[in-house]
Amino acid sequence: MESSESPAAAAVRTRTIARLIRERAMSSPNQVALRHKDLGIWRETTWSRYWEQVLLAAHGLLSLGVDTGDRVSIHSEDRPEWVILDVATVAVRGITVGLYPTNPAAEVRYLLSDSGSRVHLAEDQEQADKLMEVIDALPDLERVIHVEPRGFRTYRNDPRFVFWDEFLEMGRSHRAENPGAVEERMREADPDDVMTLVYTSGTTGPPKGAMLDNANAEYCFDELINADSRMPDNIGPNPSDEILTYLPLCHVAERIFSTWTSAVTGTTLNFAESIETVQENLREVQPTLFFAVPRIWEKLHASVILKSRDATRFKRLLMSLCSALARVIGRQRANNGGRHTLRSGILFMIGYPLVFRALRERIGLRRCRWAATGAAPIAPEVIEFFHGLGVNLYELYGMTENAGFATNNFYGRMKLGTVGEPYPGIGFRIDPETGEIQTRHPGVFRGYWNKPEETAEAFTPDGWLRTGDVGEWVDGTHVKIVDRIKHIIITSGGKNVSPSEIENSLKTSPFVKEAMVIGDRRNYLTALVGIEFDTVGDWATRRNIPYTTYRDLGEKPEVLELIQGVITRTNSRFSRVENIRKFRMLPKELDHEDGELTATQKLKRESMEEMFEELIIDMYSSRS
Amino acid sequence: MRSRPHLHTSYSADQALMPTATKKVALATFLILAALAPIASSIPFYPDFLGNNDWMKLLSHVAIFGIGALGINLLTGVAGQVSLGHAFFMGLGAYVGVVFGAPSGDLWGWGLPMWIWLPMAGIIPAAIGLLVGPAAVRVRGLYLAFATLGLVFIGEWAWRNLKFITGGSFAGRRFPEFQLRMWKEEEPLVDFASDGVWLGFEISEEAKVYLLMLGLLVVATVLAKNLQRTRAGRAFQAIRDRDIAAEIMGVNEFKYKLMAFGISSAYAGVAGALFASFVGRQIPETWDLFLSVEFIAIILIGGAGTVSGALMGSAFVILLPRLVQDFTEWLSNVIADGEGLLASVADAVISVSPDDFGVVNILPGAGPGLSVFQLNQVLFGLLVILFMIFEPLGLYGIWLRIRNYWKGWPFTY
Repeated sequence: MESSESPAAAAVRTRTIARLIRERAMSSPNQVALRHKDLGIWRETTWSRYWEQVLLAAHGLLSLGVDTGDRVSIHSEDRPEWVILDVATVAVRGITVGLYPTNPAAEVRYLLSDSGSRVHLAEDQEQADKLMEVIDALPDLERVIHVEPRGFRTYRNDPRFVFWDEFLEMGRSHRAENPGAVEERMREADPDDVMTLVYTSGTTGPPKGAMLDNANAEYCFDELINADSRMPDNIGPNPSDEILTYLPLCHVAERIFSTWTSAVTGTTLNFAESIETVQENLREVQPTLFFAVPRIWEKLHASVILKSRDATRFKRLLMSLCSALARVIGRQRANNGGRHTLRSGILFMIGYPLVFRALRERIGLRRCRWAATGAAPIAPEVIEFFHGLGVNLYELYGMTENAGFATNNFYGRMKLGTVGEPYPGIGFRIDPETGEIQTRHPGVFRGYWNKPEETAEAFTPDGWLRTGDVGEWVDGTHVKIVDRIKHIIITSGGKNVSPSEIENSLKTSPFVKEAMVIGDRRNYLTALVGIEFDTVGDWATRRNIPYTTYRDLGEKPEVLELIQGVITRTNSRFSRVENIRKFRMLPKELDHEDGELTATQKLKRESMEEMFEELIIDMYSSRS
Repeated sequence: MRSRPHLHTSYSADQALMPTATKKVALATFLILAALAPIASSIPFYPDFLGNNDWMKLLSHVAIFGIGALGINLLTGVAGQVSLGHAFFMGLGAYVGVVFGAPSGDLWGWGLPMWIWLPMAGIIPAAIGLLVGPAAVRVRGLYLAFATLGLVFIGEWAWRNLKFITGGSFAGRRFPEFQLRMWKEEEPLVDFASDGVWLGFEISEEAKVYLLMLGLLVVATVLAKNLQRTRAGRAFQAIRDRDIAAEIMGVNEFKYKLMAFGISSAYAGVAGALFASFVGRQIPETWDLFLSVEFIAIILIGGAGTVSGALMGSAFVILLPRLVQDFTEWLSNVIADGEGLLASVADAVISVSPDDFGVVNILPGAGPGLSVFQLNQVLFGLLVILFMIFEPLGLYGIWLRIRNYWKGWPFTY
């Protein structure tokens, strides 16, 4: 451990994340900070060891000549090295740039050249291969760190590559020669230092790097992470809590909910093996705090339905009874701000020992005391279902540009279908003309990296952040998100339609994975629908419908009928202009690498319209 | 990790014998209850009959056969080597025990204390097992069964003719009693062979023997259970599942088969010595093919390849005849008591006198039908066949299914 700073220097200008971790390492050195799974065993890292690694990595960065304001990019799945390098970069006053593991080579090139990254971490051979395709176009890039040793024989003679262990060794010898160099750099840290560039997912146009500085992060630490009132019994995150981190760390939500939360409050971070193993890892870790995107919640919900259908007769009967019970309880709670009513409490006491307890253990939420969903719209039915099981699931809203900081459904005051109330004390308004949500508080970002024009566009003349989301007040306290401004469809009849609402209603069916509503400047609405291969496949198997591929299954007349049923049900919930007249099945599963989705699994509408142009033309010209 | 049973932070936690607190508590409760059986009558809500001397004897019998079954389970169930030679090694163990432990007289005997003769009853059969093993482990499947069958016949011939050890076919010989001595002193340190007062409780000879057997069974079980999670245990299972594949993975087939043979023989030897002393006097014909088959039946009914299966199997096989006997006696009482549908059904089943028709006769020389002993034989045969067809994992398989039903709750998998 390095010698601690003298009290005179303790009057710090900013509490960076690096500083927070050092404090933890001093105050509770032997508590577990990180856990990751290696060959079937969850290996534990204590806070003191965590800090030690950060310090070595920071010295390593210094020995690579990383200077104040230099960019360090990370292209990796979630793993301890991600977090360690991230914190080390902040410690030496560098700027972290995170890439999605699914980013293809072209996007790697764009992100690295746009940010001008000097040091890059490529997790394994896959990411290194992507990088090598485009490395000639990246003059700023000097060194590439890799974490997995396997498959790097081809790059053995490339002096730019350095293996993680060697990198830490470099840090060790740098520390021996320049003890205290990192500490000194940390002392110089300024609230205005940009700590990270978070690239927007880019549903329209190329991604933009949002600059968050230490002051933004600090505001987030104090007001969002430590806002105990958002949690049950006013108990905020604390060292006895467990978090599972599995969403890409380059996304601001995961960064706040895992790395930052653990640094601020001392919770243990558990790294999932991969996004595919989330359900298993959930079961093992049984996190107490859990943040997930709607896709994950829907998947958990669907897996419960699917598995209960495979159960023996008695269990099936019991499950269907208890699902009904959960719905009743969920509705009662949702109408009561998330708290139990007397009736739901009594019903819950019946359902808990019978099914809910075991069910929650199976899906890994037995110990979960607070759960949240965000980053995309979720179907209210899903929230109700989890409330019925006793999982306190709240929808919240925020975006990269305001450090995730806008509204939240507070415990006991939630309203279903809304994203909650604005945090107390922040600037929050809905523009009366456009309906756009605008925020102003110290967490609002500094601007887009190297894009003064876009930055200017992001703010109103009086300095409020334009979120680009259309919202409306519900009961004067809660906020409902309608859609992105850019997505609003204006039919040729002049009606404004929010496609997301209709799409989400379609996606509440376990059979529908993707839906895109089309109709801008057209006579009527149509939809492109992608089936959920697993559930529809299961459905078809039970009916003895043979199928081969995704496309084949989607085009079966029985499946078309099934989807038509889903569409008819949705249409009945909307007004006539909002009804979908025709639909076509997507011939393939949408994918980030094929350019149909963003890294966060959002539809890239423009490229979708280009790619499936024939299907769309067909819907507006043919009779059926 | 407490309350997170699937979160293993080390390999030792991953392969712990008792992974959860529930298991530990359940096992401890069971052991305490088992240890309290001798004073059953002074404990409220405890089934009194368990403390009776004949039940103490039955339970000791179960424990001894449990130890033997653990041995054959290791060889046949875990390592997959079907052996019919178990009776031979049990006999060998018994006679090694008697040579070391019985006082010298007309027959061989060195009169050494129990802490010598009991381990020797394991060590020497293990050594003989390793000696004859190389010939046996070269063959597999049915051929191995036949090769080991040969051992039983060689053994029977030998026991009959080594009269200076075994006492011959008619007399047999007395086996050493369960007494703990330091050396050859008069007064034993702990005497299991006579009634006495322990901790203020009147403990009969039978109950003392029961407690001794229970203790030995626990030791044998822990060793067997632990073996299964060692390198050797995993090698055994690999050989059972596919010997060629195991060899390709680097398992030395010959070595591990031999090892399984040796360890199994040691278990058999100890069980044989205990059984002989428990009964008191044994003739050479005790160690015949029927005994081997009985052990195969135990692990088939209990569940081959599992430690708890071996124990459940021996409990079942030893206790069933007793239950059948009690049941037929109860039926004959029903007849004697008189009228009603039950009595007439019982009357049809039971034959009580030479001219009474019945499937089972309970008196020697009663009418046509099976004796209770024959009925037991028929039941065993039937049970083995039924288990092989419907529940190849035996009693353990039934337990497994019940457990998985609740483990999967509220789903099926």
